Amino acid sequence: MNVYEIENLSFRYGPSKAGVLAGIDLSIEKGEFIGITGPTGAGKSTFLKCLNGIIPHFQGGILEGNVLLNHNSIMEKRMIDIAHCVGSVFDDPESQIVSLDVEQELVFALENIGLDQQTMEERVTEALQMTGISHLRHSKTAALSGGQKQRVAIAASLALKPQVLVLDEPTSELDPSGTKAVFEVLNQLNRELGMTIIVATQKTDFLARYASRILIFNQGKIVLEGKPQAVFAQQEMLKCLGVRVPQVAELAYRLQKNVREIPLTVAEGLNYIQRCL
Amino acid sequence: MIEYMPRESPIHRLNPLAKMTWAFAVMILALIFNQIDYLLVILGTVLIVAVLAGIYREMLGVLKGLLMFAVFLVVLQVLFYRQGTVLFFLLPLDYLPVTREALLLGVAMSLRMMTVLLSFVVFLATTQFKDMVVALTDKLKLPYDYVFMFMTALRFVPVFLNEIVKVREAQAARGCQVDGHHPIVKVKAYTQVAVPLVLISLRKAEGLAIAMETRGYGSNQRTYFKEQPITRIDRVVMMAIGLFVVAGVIIRLQGFGMI
Amino acid sequence: MKAHSVIKVEDLVYSYGDHRVLKNVNLTVHAGEFVAIIGENGAGKSTLTRHFNGLLKPLSGRVVVGGEETKHCKVSQLARHVGYVFQNPDHQLFHNTVEKEVAFGVKNLGLSTQTIQDRVAEALQAVGLDEYRDSYPYDLSKGQRQRVALAAVLAMRPEVIVLDEPTTGQDYREMMQIMEMIQVLNQKGHTIIFITHDMALVAEFAKRVIVLCEGKILQDDSVEAVFTCPDFLKQSFLELPSITQLGNGLSHPEISAPFLTVDEAYNTLKPLLGGEAID
Repeated sequence: MNVYEIENLSFRYGPSKAGVLAGIDLSIEKGEFIGITGPTGAGKSTFLKCLNGIIPHFQGGILEGNVLLNHNSIMEKRMIDIAHCVGSVFDDPESQIVSLDVEQELVFALENIGLDQQTMEERVTEALQMTGISHLRHSKTAALSGGQKQRVAIAASLALKPQVLVLDEPTSELDPSGTKAVFEVLNQLNRELGMTIIVATQKTDFLARYASRILIFNQGKIVLEGKPQAVFAQQEMLKCLGVRVPQVAELAYRLQKNVREIPLTVAEGLNYIQRCL
Repeated sequence: MIEYMPRESPIHRLNPLAKMTWAFAVMILALIFNQIDYLLVILGTVLIVAVLAGIYREMLGVLKGLLMFAVFLVVLQVLFYRQGTVLFFLLPLDYLPVTREALLLGVAMSLRMMTVLLSFVVFLATTQFKDMVVALTDKLKLPYDYVFMFMTALRFVPVFLNEIVKVREAQAARGCQVDGHHPIVKVKAYTQVAVPLVLISLRKAEGLAIAMETRGYGSNQRTYFKEQPITRIDRVVMMAIGLFVVAGVIIRLQGFGMI
Repeated sequence: MKAHSVIKVEDLVYSYGDHRVLKNVNLTVHAGEFVAIIGENGAGKSTLTRHFNGLLKPLSGRVVVGGEETKHCKVSQLARHVGYVFQNPDHQLFHNTVEKEVAFGVKNLGLSTQTIQDRVAEALQAVGLDEYRDSYPYDLSKGQRQRVALAAVLAMRPEVIVLDEPTTGQDYREMMQIMEMIQVLNQKGHTIIFITHDMALVAEFAKRVIVLCEGKILQDDSVEAVFTCPDFLKQSFLELPSITQLGNGLSHPEISAPFLTVDEAYNTLKPLLGGEAID
């Protein structure tokens, strides 16, 4: 079943502005883990804003084509209805946290949509559990580390029980252990609950490990897409685009151009080289 | 910063409305009397509440801080209030007389200020902000938007303080003097700090607005996770406070409690 | 002959309130070095480097920069010796053109107008932004803004350049551009000290690594030496670059030194695999 169907989507921020998205066609199936990467200014953030309704409901511009969420056009849905289906997480851990403490942050959305207290309690407990931060329930948001703040942000959108999580550079401000914690949570949500994850990031090592499909953006278009093994085998092209290739994949490719299954992780790499030696 | 201090105490358990009533009652009583012994009694009751709330030590700290302010108020009174019995002169040749009335009034003003501020500090220290929001919007029917705006402003205070430090550091590292005493240097230094800060704030504000939007803000069907009911104890407390205020007003109308 | 020392830190202790962030740090940086400072968030990396240009003054111990103790120097004085590029360039940009932004720091040095112009032009060229001299800084990408900040520091011609996570939030191309620029600056004689979380960049560019953990120096050695002791890194919650992990995982008599870059791994493995690899 397709969660998203995107048909010939183009977007400009104004009539005199250059096009940011230039004709994107894409279907996203339920349960996929989509990783998006590409150079700065390729249109990744704008594309994600079209998926969670910020465009056109919050930011204006000239939009052509269509984005269907569960077969309904996103233009015709209200922001609140989109929020029920799509959870959003952004890059800056500071500005997306609204409340003074974690519990309050999680109930913020639930209070907004008018749930009763019993349901709120259940949803908060569950969302905290899914993101592994139950122990932080009564902490002050200002006292959290960057990685914890981002997990709170994920938990806060999970509380609405969305089908899809859309994340724009959720780890760009985080250190390695924070980044790891965030991606492990995403992986778990995807594996165990079958949640559809769409994440834009420059940290391709993590996409190689967790994504089921990778989209490479350049100049407002998807220029390459496929499974991680297939995408990271196109190294000439990735080099041209300035996309970081996982080191193990780069080594394997240089050792042998037409390797059948390109290794991506250290374990796969060790396996591959030991077989060759 | 005055912050919530978590404790298990009867004061903490009271409904925010009851505590708010109390703080306002203290203010009214402190304002209608200006005789020192009356004011001392009121300040005493505030301290008793602080003891009950288990935050006595912290409040003494606050009181110490306020004392500086209090001394300043006394000095002001002494300098500008010249009526009444002269006790002594500050300068030789009978310059700057200090009167008994000025001293009494000064001390009374200081006590008043300390009592009122301390009662609000006790209120803030024993009441969680989210409970206050519910009390203000759900019980007092203030518009949620304004209360929410106030709450977010509070949430962003530490963020912006942090940003200011970073901006100042960045400018200082480029060899400009951010801490000059010359007025022109100061004005220049302000623009260097203000411009980046405004731009960063705008970006943060946009981020916040988007985050709120994607989480269903403004859908007009709001409920509250923690509704603190107004209990019988709260009602009794509020009634008692009301009676105290009425009694205070009557005593004052009888002519007591004024110098 | 060993180069002269540009920064000397002796028994440095620093606290934020009750929290002791630096506990007895000792280190010397010599002219021309290329040093990476690594460690978890909260390990004290930025607190340490903020002592190099006097933004922070030691609680106890000494920091000597260019022969003078920082305790007695103003930040504006030290700025001539130590340039500091912050993690977020937006904290410093407040002019309406790139050129003015870069000129701002130099103007504080009291040079002639001609010299200022020359230095600004040179700095913009060094970071590859000469064609953007009249642009509004906020119209540039994050990576370009970071380069404006670097140019602003360069124009002041400091002996030492400190960079606090210079590549955060940038794409790979921008990241490599800035690192290559720093490398060129190092070859021209600037001493470089940079903080990063990106171990692959450390392996590729730095010559010396300082590992900080909970306010102490856990290790201070060449990149090769540090990256062959994975235990130390584990203690400081860091992970080696995957290519180094791969090399350390291979047990083969021909592989002795750790792989720091993909190039090194390739050059070592290629002959071992012979002309035809099996798949």
